[in-house]
Amino acid sequence: MAKRHRFVVGEDERSVEVDQTPDGVTVTLDEGDAVDIDVLEVQVPGTVSFFVGGRQQRAYVARRAGGYEVTIGERRFVVETASGGRRRGAVGGAEDVPGQITAPLAGVVVEIRVSVGDDLEAGTTVLVLEAMKMQNEVQIPHDGTITAIHAEAGQNVDKGVLLVEYDTDSEE
Amino acid sequence: MPKRVLLANRGEIALRVQRTCRELGIETVAVYSEPDRNALHVRQADAAVAIGPGPATESYLVIDNIIEAAKRTGADAVHPGYGFLSENAAFAEACDANGITFIGPPASAMQAMGDKVAARRLMADAGVPIIPGANDVDPSDLSAAHAEADRIGFPLMVKAAGGGGGRGIRVVETPDGLDGAMQLSSSEAAAAFGNATVFLERYVSPARHIEVQVMADAHGNARAFGERECSVQRRHQKLLEEAPSVAVDPELRARLCDAATAAALSCGYRNAGTVEFLLDDRTGEFFFLEMNARLQVEHPITELVYGVDLVALQLAVADGEELEPGPAGPPEPNGWSIECRINAEDPHANFAPSFGLVEHVDMPQGPGVRFDSMLYAGLDVPVFYDSLLGKLIVWAEDRPAAIARMRRALQDLVVAGIDTNSAFHLALLDNPDFVAGNVDTGWLERDFTMPPPADDGRDVTALIAAALAAEMGGRADGAAPAAGPSAADLWARVARADAMNTRVQHTGERGWRSGIGS
Repeated sequence: MAKRHRFVVGEDERSVEVDQTPDGVTVTLDEGDAVDIDVLEVQVPGTVSFFVGGRQQRAYVARRAGGYEVTIGERRFVVETASGGRRRGAVGGAEDVPGQITAPLAGVVVEIRVSVGDDLEAGTTVLVLEAMKMQNEVQIPHDGTITAIHAEAGQNVDKGVLLVEYDTDSEE
Repeated sequence: MPKRVLLANRGEIALRVQRTCRELGIETVAVYSEPDRNALHVRQADAAVAIGPGPATESYLVIDNIIEAAKRTGADAVHPGYGFLSENAAFAEACDANGITFIGPPASAMQAMGDKVAARRLMADAGVPIIPGANDVDPSDLSAAHAEADRIGFPLMVKAAGGGGGRGIRVVETPDGLDGAMQLSSSEAAAAFGNATVFLERYVSPARHIEVQVMADAHGNARAFGERECSVQRRHQKLLEEAPSVAVDPELRARLCDAATAAALSCGYRNAGTVEFLLDDRTGEFFFLEMNARLQVEHPITELVYGVDLVALQLAVADGEELEPGPAGPPEPNGWSIECRINAEDPHANFAPSFGLVEHVDMPQGPGVRFDSMLYAGLDVPVFYDSLLGKLIVWAEDRPAAIARMRRALQDLVVAGIDTNSAFHLALLDNPDFVAGNVDTGWLERDFTMPPPADDGRDVTALIAAALAAEMGGRADGAAPAAGPSAADLWARVARADAMNTRVQHTGERGWRSGIGS
């Protein structure tokens, strides 16, 4: 059964539809023409190897919060799952029920960027959590209006602690 | 030969020295800081001793800890590598005092080369060309300084006699600027080095950085192993070196090598050292810059074109052996060698340093390729040390073939998890100035611009790879779970991966093999 994957690379939103059938795998990029690919068995964990139009492609894929990091030759690509977090961002609320944002990891709240009453678009950063010297932007996963903030700058928080509540703007 | 050598260093150079020791049947002792516990130089040593926490000032630079480690493990010799304690006279003396052979020059030679004005005098007496200048200028006698400056010519440099690390150095373009520069350099030098003495030197620019490898024994013999070209630099850091140099012909090589051996003999030097020169292409003049009292990072390119193991020679010379005389006449390099320093930094983000977990490595291999490297999949690159991951070195019959081989080797190198400067080296090898050999020490910062990534369709490959990964491990909506996968998820993934005849590993944000790994 075909499945469409939506990604963001840089500023561009892209989609890849993957159709697995007993005869093989077909991919369709950005709703263009379907291309048969030959996915090879690779014993190196994390390595994806496939032929497209007879040309061998080889990539190393690692899962990251909010998407994937793909290494091909000397280049690294950050492939975000659409509506996911930005690079080095943590998707606040990926596991949350709509209306709540919890800490995606333990850390220190270094900055709160929103106030109660703010009307936000999905993907807006609400606060910044620092862990292991890395700043992680926590974003609102849906459009919404902030109704309560349960953290302050400088505060240590454990993973899963409720940080922000919001009203979703509409039925999505 | 020593029986057991302690490597007072880390990273690729510790591994490099260990390799020769093992070939010669000499046991090796590694030292390591806490974050280096899992480093290759620790794994490959016969014994290893912890010497303190991450910061080098609390571990690799603590003389007492290293001497203690040598005594505890019965090491009869210490190899300092480069950096850290390699040019520290007190360390060499501490080794001597404890009956441990220091594989390097005597403390007296290090000190002689450490004082810039004394080194200038020593070189002048030995007949080694020094940059035209004036020693010991009294900063309060400005009329004398102007007389000297007029003799030397502008532009010139004001330098601190006790200086180092670029402090107390000023370039003066015209006579008007001399007074101010003298005062600033002098007060800076007094504050930093407790010595207000300055000296003047002609500003030789543009110039090439050409250095000569020397080796001296305890019997008064010194031998030079030709030159290395190290003009490709950013902020005084060398990035790519080659041997020989396009700018050096046999006649010039003979003069450079004679000057280098004279420099070594003038200060009672022993063991491996490098004499650095500035070469003015337009006049063919070269001038002594400084002598590095250690094995250099870029020593392998000399090894490849002169067919020599410099570490083996270091061990032999330290043991009192006499150097075999080289062939008559100037040294003749065989073929061409290039080294690219593979650093953990992002060339597309102003070379910002990168660190963290190396998740996957494809090593370059094949004819004429040598990779001296600390890399392995699972290495967590610590934040405490310099960014050098390894040195990719190639040898080929001539320069064009060496460039083509290096390009191929760089394309074969894949490092996942952290950034490397491979893309920079690939762009450099394609640059017309570099290919023509038209570089000087200022060229990289003045004339080279890092090109943006090529639009070569690899973004599409990345998208398909991500989609395949999502197929094998994603949830129904394709979104990545923020937390690590559960055991049940993993089994489901293994089943799906097997069904697709491929495998994808899922790592956590910084986790190692948190996903399927069979």
